[in-house]
Amino acid sequence: MAVSRLPAAALSLKQFLQRQKVLGVYRDLLRNIRKIPQESDRRYLRDWAREEFKRNKSETDQDVVRMMVTQAQNHLEDLRKSLALAGC
Amino acid sequence: MASRALAHCMRSVARASARLNHGNMLTRSACAPLASNQRALSAVSRGQRTRWTDLVRISGPSLHLCRRYGDLPPLTLENIQDRVMYVLKLYDKINPEKLQTSSHFMKDLGLDSLDQVEIIMAMEDEFGFEIPDAEAEKLMTPKEIVQYIADKKDVYE
Repeated sequence: MAVSRLPAAALSLKQFLQRQKVLGVYRDLLRNIRKIPQESDRRYLRDWAREEFKRNKSETDQDVVRMMVTQAQNHLEDLRKSLALAGC
Repeated sequence: MASRALAHCMRSVARASARLNHGNMLTRSACAPLASNQRALSAVSRGQRTRWTDLVRISGPSLHLCRRYGDLPPLTLENIQDRVMYVLKLYDKINPEKLQTSSHFMKDLGLDSLDQVEIIMAMEDEFGFEIPDAEAEKLMTPKEIVQYIADKKDVYE
Protein backbone atom coordinates (compact mmCIF):
# COMPACT_ATOMS: atom_id res chain seq x y z
CA MET A 1 0.00 0.00 0.00
CA ALA A 2 1.39 3.32 -1.01
CA VAL A 3 1.64 5.68 1.92
CA SER A 4 2.19 9.32 1.14
CA ARG A 5 5.41 10.64 2.58
CA LEU A 6 4.08 14.12 2.74
CA PRO A 7 3.08 15.42 6.16
CA ALA A 8 -0.63 15.94 6.63
CA ALA A 9 -0.28 19.70 6.70
CA ALA A 10 1.48 19.89 3.32
CA LEU A 11 -0.16 22.01 0.66
CA SER A 12 -1.53 20.52 -2.49
CA LEU A 13 0.01 21.69 -5.73
CA LYS A 14 -2.86 24.06 -6.41
CA GLN A 15 -2.63 25.57 -2.97
CA PHE A 16 1.09 25.90 -3.30
CA LEU A 17 0.79 27.75 -6.59
CA GLN A 18 -1.86 29.99 -5.15
CA ARG A 19 0.37 30.76 -2.20
CA GLN A 20 3.15 31.79 -4.56
CA LYS A 21 0.72 33.99 -6.40
CA VAL A 22 -0.43 35.72 -3.23
CA LEU A 23 3.12 36.34 -2.10
CA GLY A 24 4.02 37.61 -5.57
CA VAL A 25 1.15 40.09 -5.59
CA TYR A 26 2.09 41.22 -2.10
CA ARG A 27 5.68 41.78 -3.15
CA ASP A 28 4.68 43.66 -6.30
CA LEU A 29 2.31 45.81 -4.34
CA LEU A 30 4.95 46.69 -1.77
CA ARG A 31 7.48 47.44 -4.50
CA ASN A 32 5.11 49.85 -6.17
CA ILE A 33 4.11 51.45 -2.91
CA ARG A 34 7.76 52.12 -2.27
CA LYS A 35 7.84 54.40 -5.32
CA ILE A 36 5.27 56.79 -3.87
CA PRO A 37 7.08 60.08 -3.29
CA GLN A 38 5.23 61.36 -0.25
CA GLU A 39 6.21 59.81 3.05
CA SER A 40 2.79 59.91 4.71
CA ASP A 41 0.97 58.44 1.70
CA ARG A 42 3.57 55.74 1.40
CA ARG A 43 3.20 54.73 5.03
CA TYR A 44 -0.58 54.82 4.83
CA LEU A 45 -0.73 52.56 1.78
CA ARG A 46 1.88 50.18 3.14
CA ASP A 47 -0.07 49.76 6.35
CA TRP A 48 -3.25 49.32 4.37
CA ALA A 49 -1.74 46.57 2.23
CA ARG A 50 -0.25 44.85 5.25
CA GLU A 51 -3.52 44.88 7.14
CA GLU A 52 -5.56 43.61 4.22
CA PHE A 53 -3.25 40.69 3.66
CA LYS A 54 -2.94 39.89 7.35
CA ARG A 55 -6.66 40.05 7.88
CA ASN A 56 -7.33 37.44 5.25
CA LYS A 57 -4.33 35.24 5.71
CA SER A 58 -6.28 32.38 7.27
CA GLU A 59 -8.69 32.11 4.38
CA THR A 60 -8.64 28.58 2.98
CA ASP A 61 -11.37 28.60 0.37
CA GLN A 62 -9.57 28.61 -2.95
CA ASP A 63 -12.26 30.53 -4.80
CA VAL A 64 -12.32 33.26 -2.21
CA VAL A 65 -8.54 33.49 -2.30
CA ARG A 66 -8.59 33.71 -6.07
CA MET A 67 -11.11 36.49 -5.94
CA MET A 68 -9.02 38.41 -3.45
CA VAL A 69 -5.90 37.96 -5.55
CA THR A 70 -7.76 39.42 -8.51
CA GLN A 71 -8.86 42.32 -6.38
CA ALA A 72 -5.29 42.92 -5.26
CA GLN A 73 -4.16 42.84 -8.86
CA ASN A 74 -6.74 45.47 -9.75
CA HIS A 75 -5.49 47.68 -6.96
CA LEU A 76 -1.94 47.11 -8.12
CA GLU A 77 -2.87 48.10 -11.65
CA ASP A 78 -4.57 51.27 -10.39
CA LEU A 79 -1.55 52.15 -8.33
CA ARG A 80 0.75 51.57 -11.27
CA LYS A 81 -1.34 53.81 -13.49
CA SER A 82 -1.44 56.61 -10.95
CA LEU A 83 2.28 56.37 -10.41
CA ALA A 84 2.90 56.50 -14.15
CA LEU A 85 0.66 59.54 -14.47
CA ALA A 86 2.42 61.23 -11.59
CA GLY A 87 5.70 60.51 -13.36
CA CYS A 88 7.36 58.46 -10.64
CA MET B 1 40.59 105.81 -17.83
CA ALA B 2 42.29 104.11 -20.75
CA SER B 3 44.92 102.54 -18.51
CA ARG B 4 42.26 101.15 -16.25
CA ALA B 5 40.54 99.52 -19.21
CA LEU B 6 43.88 98.07 -20.37
CA ALA B 7 44.61 96.65 -16.93
CA HIS B 8 41.19 95.07 -16.85
CA CYS B 9 41.79 93.44 -20.22
CA MET B 10 45.13 92.10 -19.11
CA ARG B 11 43.73 90.68 -15.95
CA SER B 12 40.96 88.87 -17.75
CA VAL B 13 43.45 87.51 -20.28
CA ALA B 14 45.69 86.29 -17.50
CA ARG B 15 42.81 84.68 -15.70
CA ALA B 16 41.45 82.94 -18.76
CA SER B 17 44.80 81.66 -19.87
CA ALA B 18 45.73 80.42 -16.42
CA ARG B 19 42.46 78.61 -16.26
CA LEU B 20 43.19 76.91 -19.53
CA ASN B 21 46.44 75.82 -17.97
CA HIS B 22 48.74 76.82 -20.79
CA GLY B 23 48.99 80.25 -19.32
CA ASN B 24 52.65 81.21 -19.17
CA MET B 25 53.47 81.79 -22.82
CA LEU B 26 50.21 83.42 -23.72
CA THR B 27 50.11 85.97 -20.91
CA ARG B 28 53.74 86.83 -21.27
CA SER B 29 53.27 87.60 -24.93
CA ALA B 30 50.16 89.60 -24.10
CA CYS B 31 52.01 91.53 -21.41
CA ALA B 32 55.21 92.11 -23.34
CA PRO B 33 54.20 95.12 -25.46
CA LEU B 34 52.60 96.78 -22.46
CA ALA B 35 55.39 96.08 -20.03
CA SER B 36 57.53 98.95 -21.29
CA ASN B 37 55.14 101.75 -20.44
CA GLN B 38 53.07 100.17 -17.71
CA ARG B 39 55.40 98.18 -15.54
CA ALA B 40 53.34 98.47 -12.42
CA LEU B 41 50.22 97.13 -14.03
CA SER B 42 51.92 94.19 -15.66
CA ALA B 43 53.51 93.32 -12.33
CA VAL B 44 50.03 93.28 -10.80
CA SER B 45 48.74 91.04 -13.52
CA ARG B 46 51.71 88.73 -13.23
CA GLY B 47 51.14 88.43 -9.49
CA GLN B 48 47.58 87.55 -10.19
CA ARG B 49 48.57 85.03 -12.78
CA THR B 50 50.81 83.13 -10.40
CA ARG B 51 48.10 83.14 -7.82
CA TRP B 52 45.70 81.65 -10.33
CA THR B 53 48.06 78.95 -11.43
CA ASP B 54 48.75 78.13 -7.80
CA LEU B 55 45.06 77.81 -7.21
CA VAL B 56 44.71 75.49 -10.16
CA ARG B 57 47.58 73.42 -8.95
CA ILE B 58 46.24 73.15 -5.43
CA SER B 59 42.68 72.45 -6.36
CA GLY B 60 43.69 69.62 -8.67
CA PRO B 61 44.29 66.82 -6.17
CA SER B 62 41.69 68.04 -3.65
CA LEU B 63 39.02 68.02 -6.33
CA HIS B 64 40.05 64.52 -7.17
CA LEU B 65 39.62 63.48 -3.56
CA CYS B 66 36.16 64.96 -3.40
CA ARG B 67 34.90 62.77 -6.19
CA ARG B 68 33.95 59.52 -4.61
CA TYR B 69 31.15 58.59 -7.00
CA GLY B 70 29.17 55.70 -5.50
CA ASP B 71 32.02 54.71 -3.28
CA LEU B 72 30.83 53.39 0.06
CA PRO B 73 32.90 51.99 2.89
CA PRO B 74 33.94 48.47 1.89
CA LEU B 75 31.55 45.71 2.83
CA THR B 76 32.78 43.01 5.14
CA LEU B 77 30.92 40.05 6.56
CA GLU B 78 30.66 41.67 10.00
CA ASN B 79 29.57 44.90 8.44
CA ILE B 80 26.78 43.18 6.49
CA GLN B 81 25.73 41.23 9.54
CA ASP B 82 25.50 44.36 11.66
CA ARG B 83 23.34 46.07 9.08
CA VAL B 84 21.08 43.04 8.66
CA MET B 85 20.60 42.72 12.41
CA TYR B 86 19.97 46.43 12.70
CA VAL B 87 17.21 46.30 10.09
CA LEU B 88 15.67 43.26 11.77
CA LYS B 89 15.70 44.92 15.17
CA LEU B 90 13.83 47.88 13.75
CA TYR B 91 11.13 45.61 12.32
CA ASP B 92 8.14 45.95 14.62
CA LYS B 93 7.11 42.32 14.81
CA ILE B 94 10.44 40.94 15.88
CA ASN B 95 11.33 40.86 19.52
CA PRO B 96 14.93 42.13 19.58
CA GLU B 97 15.78 40.03 22.62
CA LYS B 98 14.87 36.77 20.93
CA LEU B 99 16.74 37.59 17.77
CA GLN B 100 19.83 35.49 17.03
CA THR B 101 21.76 35.22 13.80
CA SER B 102 20.62 31.62 13.48
CA SER B 103 16.98 32.06 14.44
CA HIS B 104 14.43 30.93 11.88
CA PHE B 105 11.90 33.62 11.02
CA MET B 106 8.90 31.31 11.12
CA LYS B 107 9.88 28.62 13.59
CA ASP B 108 11.72 30.71 16.17
CA LEU B 109 10.37 34.21 15.75
CA GLY B 110 6.77 33.32 14.95
CA LEU B 111 6.54 35.32 11.73
CA ASP B 112 4.54 34.32 8.67
CA SER B 113 5.41 34.32 4.98
CA LEU B 114 4.05 37.84 4.53
CA ASP B 115 6.40 39.14 7.19
CA GLN B 116 9.24 37.32 5.51
CA VAL B 117 8.44 39.10 2.25
CA GLU B 118 8.52 42.41 4.09
CA ILE B 119 11.85 41.58 5.67
CA ILE B 120 13.36 40.82 2.29
CA MET B 121 11.99 44.09 0.93
CA ALA B 122 13.58 45.93 3.84
CA MET B 123 16.89 44.26 3.01
CA GLU B 124 16.55 45.37 -0.60
CA ASP B 125 16.04 48.91 0.66
CA GLU B 126 19.02 48.73 2.96
CA PHE B 127 21.48 47.27 0.48
CA GLY B 128 20.11 48.86 -2.64
CA PHE B 129 19.61 45.91 -4.94
CA GLU B 130 16.74 43.67 -5.88
CA ILE B 131 16.50 40.10 -4.68
CA PRO B 132 14.65 37.85 -7.14
CA ASP B 133 11.51 36.12 -5.84
CA ALA B 134 12.80 32.59 -6.18
CA GLU B 135 15.81 33.29 -3.98
CA ALA B 136 13.95 35.58 -1.60
CA GLU B 137 11.76 32.67 -0.49
CA LYS B 138 14.70 30.62 0.63
CA LEU B 139 16.15 33.23 2.94
CA MET B 140 14.80 32.22 6.30
CA THR B 141 17.44 33.18 8.83
CA PRO B 142 19.57 36.30 9.27
CA LYS B 143 22.61 34.17 8.62
CA GLU B 144 21.31 33.10 5.21
CA ILE B 145 20.56 36.70 4.31
CA VAL B 146 24.09 37.76 5.24
CA GLN B 147 25.53 34.91 3.19
CA TYR B 148 23.36 35.73 0.21
CA ILE B 149 24.27 39.41 0.24
CA ALA B 150 27.96 38.61 0.67
CA ASP B 151 27.77 36.29 -2.36
CA LYS B 152 26.02 38.90 -4.46
CA LYS B 153 28.43 41.66 -3.52
CA ASP B 154 31.53 39.50 -3.88
CA VAL B 155 32.52 39.69 -0.24
CA TYR B 156 34.63 36.83 1.05
CA GLU B 157 36.54 36.22 4.24
